[in-house]
Amino acid sequence: MNTLAEQAGAGANIRAGLGRLLPSFLLFAAMLVIWEGVARLFKLPEFVLPAPTSIIRVLIERQGPLSIAAWVTATEVLFGFVLSAVVGAAVALVIARFAAFGRALYPLVVLFQTVPKIALAPLFILWFGFDLFPKVALIVVIAFFPVAINMLVGLQSVDPNLVALLRSVGASRNEILMRIQIPNSLPYLMAGLKVAVTLAVIGAIVGEFAGAQAGLGYMIQFASTQMETSLVFAALIEVSVLGLLFYYVIEFIEWRYVDWVPRTD
Amino acid sequence: MNTTAISPAAPAHIEARGVCVDFTVAGRTNRVLHDVDLSVPKGGFVSLIGPSGCGKSTLLKVLAGLLPPTLGRVSVAGVTPIEAVRQRRIGIVFQEPTLLPWKNALDNVAMLMEVAHVGKTHEEIRQRATDMLRLVGLEHAANKRPSQLSGGMRQRVSIARALALDPEVLMMDEPFGALDAITREEMSDFLLEIWERTHKTIVFVTHSIDEAAFMSREVYVMATNPARIIEVMPIALPYPRNEDSYAAPEFARATGHLRHLLKQGHRQVQAA
Repeated sequence: MNTLAEQAGAGANIRAGLGRLLPSFLLFAAMLVIWEGVARLFKLPEFVLPAPTSIIRVLIERQGPLSIAAWVTATEVLFGFVLSAVVGAAVALVIARFAAFGRALYPLVVLFQTVPKIALAPLFILWFGFDLFPKVALIVVIAFFPVAINMLVGLQSVDPNLVALLRSVGASRNEILMRIQIPNSLPYLMAGLKVAVTLAVIGAIVGEFAGAQAGLGYMIQFASTQMETSLVFAALIEVSVLGLLFYYVIEFIEWRYVDWVPRTD
Repeated sequence: MNTTAISPAAPAHIEARGVCVDFTVAGRTNRVLHDVDLSVPKGGFVSLIGPSGCGKSTLLKVLAGLLPPTLGRVSVAGVTPIEAVRQRRIGIVFQEPTLLPWKNALDNVAMLMEVAHVGKTHEEIRQRATDMLRLVGLEHAANKRPSQLSGGMRQRVSIARALALDPEVLMMDEPFGALDAITREEMSDFLLEIWERTHKTIVFVTHSIDEAAFMSREVYVMATNPARIIEVMPIALPYPRNEDSYAAPEFARATGHLRHLLKQGHRQVQAA
């Protein structure tokens, strides 16, 4: 009975979710129709504002080069994001575990965060060339911070009574870290990863703007110099879809593995 | 001070003499516990009752080895509280259940045993945890996470976790304070049952007069300014106690006197 009720509940949830999305979908469709109407009515040149239909046409006609570019950017985002997650988590763990070193490190991390990291892109091109690595490096310096800060909050927001209880039975610092602090930090880590993954996409595009021979960012820049505005929009759409996909992969991992957090939905 | 309740014949299981605790905040030293004497025989049930700020939770922390006293001497089972904790003679239950939300009830009960390296195999630990869940009447909820349990059930899991290491003493800091009135009375019945079955020595902090009088052999009444014990009051109700105990004349007498003492303490504070 319970499971039936839960199943019915899940079905209702999905229907309710779709129901909530419907107004947004309708609004989006209306905006596209207006856009199309304006572009046709005022006969705007394609290089100024292409109509949605011509963007879709480009998406289909140029899908070969677009998917190659998307693959390049996706690779940069994936490597950059995973490395950001590792670096961010490591920074948080070091600060939480080694208090004295953490006190020394934390202000430096914050200081580093105030550097406009996008301005580092030309430096990375100079140091590391035009390939994958400078983009990954740029993504890491941009995206590790939210991971580190969120996870650190999670590591430190442990119930002190729980720590006292474990200490009382002789638990070591490492045991407290492994058994309480790290599991406790996972919901916070997931929140940090969601911010980081969108930053990773931005980092990849900026990295390609600064110097690249392939990728969606490169394509946007190249197409705009050629006045191929439809292609710019087509590449932009692929960037957004890429970001969305990565975001929902994180959401799925959270839903699947960090399932003890009470959800409002 | 009324000290007739402390029988010199019974060897004290928990003993405090002249315990003072000072907290220094921003260079100013405050005495949060003043000259406390306390003696609990083995298998006793003692409540600490008093208004907020009377130091009852501080006293419990000192007895449980979580806080060293500034002055005075404390012994639990003949050793210092910290040593008693190390020997796993003390189990602690807080006002909040402090369970791990990512573990189910069984794993929560097993958690301290795993960390304590008690020399048991994984199966033995799970068996012990299952037994403890049965003792608190939650064997059916072994696979449920804390979020799927009611407040009272969570606190039972917390009690099962404290009992799992088989301590001689249970230190309980307002364990039922966050529960509704009916659940609270049920939990009092339940705790007395556990106490009669396991013969633990229990120190129970509360600010509920009824709760203290219903369960305890002795109630230590505390007051503020300075935070201290003003009276040790024996409750002469026979065990086992049940719903009828609430209607007994002795219960009315005891709660009446406790109420009087607490109000008196309150007036003194306001007059001071």
